Amino acid sequence: MKKILLIFCLMLLSASSTGCWNLKEPNQRAFIIGVGIDMTEDKELEISSEIAVPAGLGSSQVTGAGKKNTFTVVSAKGKDFMDAGQHMQAELSRSLFYAHRQTILIGQHMAEEGVDRYLDMVVRNPKSEIRSVVLVVKGGTAKEVIKAEPTFDPFISTTLGSQQNALGMKPYYFRMLLCDAYSEGTQPIVPAITADPARGYVYTGSAILNKDHGLKLVGFLDPEESMYDNWMMGKQKKLTFTTQIGKENKMISLAVQSLKHRTHIKMVKNKPQIYISLHGTGSIVENNSPLDPSKDDDLKTIQTRLSQEAEEKVRKLVDKAQHQYKIDIFGIGEHVHRQHPEVWKTLKPHWHETFPELPITVSVHLRYRDPGQTNSSL
Amino acid sequence: MKLTGSQIFWTLSTVEVVMAVWLRVSPAIETAKQDAWMSMIIAGAIGLAITYLVMHVSLLHPGETLTQFSRKLLGGWIGRIVILPYFVAWLLLSGDVLRSFADFIHLTILDRTPIWILMVMIMALAVYLTGFSGITGIGRFCELAGPVTFIALILTFLLNITNTKLHHILPIASDTSWQEVFKASLSPASFFGESFMLLVLLAFISSNKKIYVKTLSSIAFTAIMVMLATVMVLLVFGPYVGMELRFSYFMLVRSINILNFIQNVDVLVIFIWIFGVFAKISLYLFITSYEMAQWLQVKNWKKLLWFCAPAIFIIALLIPNEETIIVLQKLWERIVIPVCAISIPLILWMMTVMKRKLAEH
Repeated sequence: MKKILLIFCLMLLSASSTGCWNLKEPNQRAFIIGVGIDMTEDKELEISSEIAVPAGLGSSQVTGAGKKNTFTVVSAKGKDFMDAGQHMQAELSRSLFYAHRQTILIGQHMAEEGVDRYLDMVVRNPKSEIRSVVLVVKGGTAKEVIKAEPTFDPFISTTLGSQQNALGMKPYYFRMLLCDAYSEGTQPIVPAITADPARGYVYTGSAILNKDHGLKLVGFLDPEESMYDNWMMGKQKKLTFTTQIGKENKMISLAVQSLKHRTHIKMVKNKPQIYISLHGTGSIVENNSPLDPSKDDDLKTIQTRLSQEAEEKVRKLVDKAQHQYKIDIFGIGEHVHRQHPEVWKTLKPHWHETFPELPITVSVHLRYRDPGQTNSSL
Repeated sequence: MKLTGSQIFWTLSTVEVVMAVWLRVSPAIETAKQDAWMSMIIAGAIGLAITYLVMHVSLLHPGETLTQFSRKLLGGWIGRIVILPYFVAWLLLSGDVLRSFADFIHLTILDRTPIWILMVMIMALAVYLTGFSGITGIGRFCELAGPVTFIALILTFLLNITNTKLHHILPIASDTSWQEVFKASLSPASFFGESFMLLVLLAFISSNKKIYVKTLSSIAFTAIMVMLATVMVLLVFGPYVGMELRFSYFMLVRSINILNFIQNVDVLVIFIWIFGVFAKISLYLFITSYEMAQWLQVKNWKKLLWFCAPAIFIIALLIPNEETIIVLQKLWERIVIPVCAISIPLILWMMTVMKRKLAEH
């Protein structure tokens, strides 16, 4: 009797624990791999989803009549994220599946209106993915970019993260946007991309969002400015400097690998003074000037010139942030918070007014580690 | 039925760590911000003190469980009344754990499965394990599941190292006052104070050798793990995002992304978490049934399983929403711990000492 009961129990458990009623086959799913958030002219939310078409993927035949697209883009308007999803579903025979979303693109209009309202779904929805990279589309809609055909991969959304890696940046994940948006004093600097009819899409620097004002777009930084800004924020892994040198103004390039940054806050009469120092070491990869990096004197000239040039650019960027955008894009507030927590309590409420007046001193030290394979220029 | 020292170690740490890591990290961050890890250390210390007290009381009566020695000390009637809060506490706790578990599985994996089926399944398993092998089986299970749980915890911490940012946890001890840090430590401390189940468990130990060290180190080990989880949540999400996440440790696991290759390990972690929840429910099922049998002076404690298991299930079923779970946790912190883990053991201790003094004279 006991044995029969036991066997019955085991069978019941094994039947129920497979969870078959909860089963959804992959061919019942529409895998969303990228999503674009736009604001239309009449202030409506429009979501465009890039959906993988598995039939177009598998085969390696590039030519042939049977070639299918690897993805399709579906867009719909809605009151919020999931409402738009509901409308999108009307065009699809498979149910939308959010767990593979690799990229979230934010159109410029949307960014200008502020994106803070739409952040919640990405975290709350248990079927949603929080490992997506976030980008802002400069001068266009997310819909345009998401339709672009990339060179290497079947989908644009998988390439954007690797593109940031290739550019020497650390990919900017949604989690980081969230952390910045809720931080004490770091403004979210989100990588920006632009749609280009000829080239598909191009990286165009970064967008500055104001976390104290509904994550609204403040302005853009060009690729070079964002490079320096990322350096100061510790988001850049490598970069290449090129500068004119010598009497003939010939070019020299240094590929810098290890980037270090340090922000020191000194309190003088309860007013913060900011000292930013940036360090980098790298190898000389191109030298068209007559200078010979294997000679000590020439090397010093090269290093000083490169450092000066970089310093000049950082200074310009600081000036732009303080006087044009009037927003702390370097996370200096966060440094004040960390180094002088007591002072920060009084500074925080009017940090936006304080920041443009701050005395900021910048110093850049570039060193070479490797002169390359030639002595003087060939 | 006997338990070895290492079984006690793993049983305690497994059943304590699962709920504390899952549910106590975000509330602590909410109050103590980036200093929440200090709260966890304080909580660990409080937990150790409680554990020491209940162990001391229990070891004064070797081989006897709570009901047996309280009846001996306080007499039949008072001895029985004193045990009632324990039954309420243990049944409510198991119901609460069962419900939180089912809600979570429903939310993340089996969204189309009715919650009661999930609860019936885990209850049936718990009844099976407890009914067939009693505390020995639970101890053995924890000896296996415990190390797996802790290895999984450490692994998820290590895999998240690339996501950490040191500045999230700074500045230390300046944004929050000591009062806040202390206040935030009370609720995790109440979870560590759960060790008052030792009043029953220690009756089953096979030898007293090094039992203090093993039990106290188990609580310390658990507290360190919860502290590490807090540190990791802070380092990855920072205090402001960390406090908004309902299951912050789970989100931490979901953030793992090593070389675009090691991702989505959350499913594995859920499995391991189920081990812990299962151990916890089985353990409380055993303790409550065994003590109730002592209380009613029923010879075969297994008969009481058929009362306790449905009771736990019904309590879990009756919990209407998240709010009630929070109220139950508050009840645990404000009433159960002061009464069951501190006052009653203290009374029992004093009675023991007095009786022994009287007997000497």
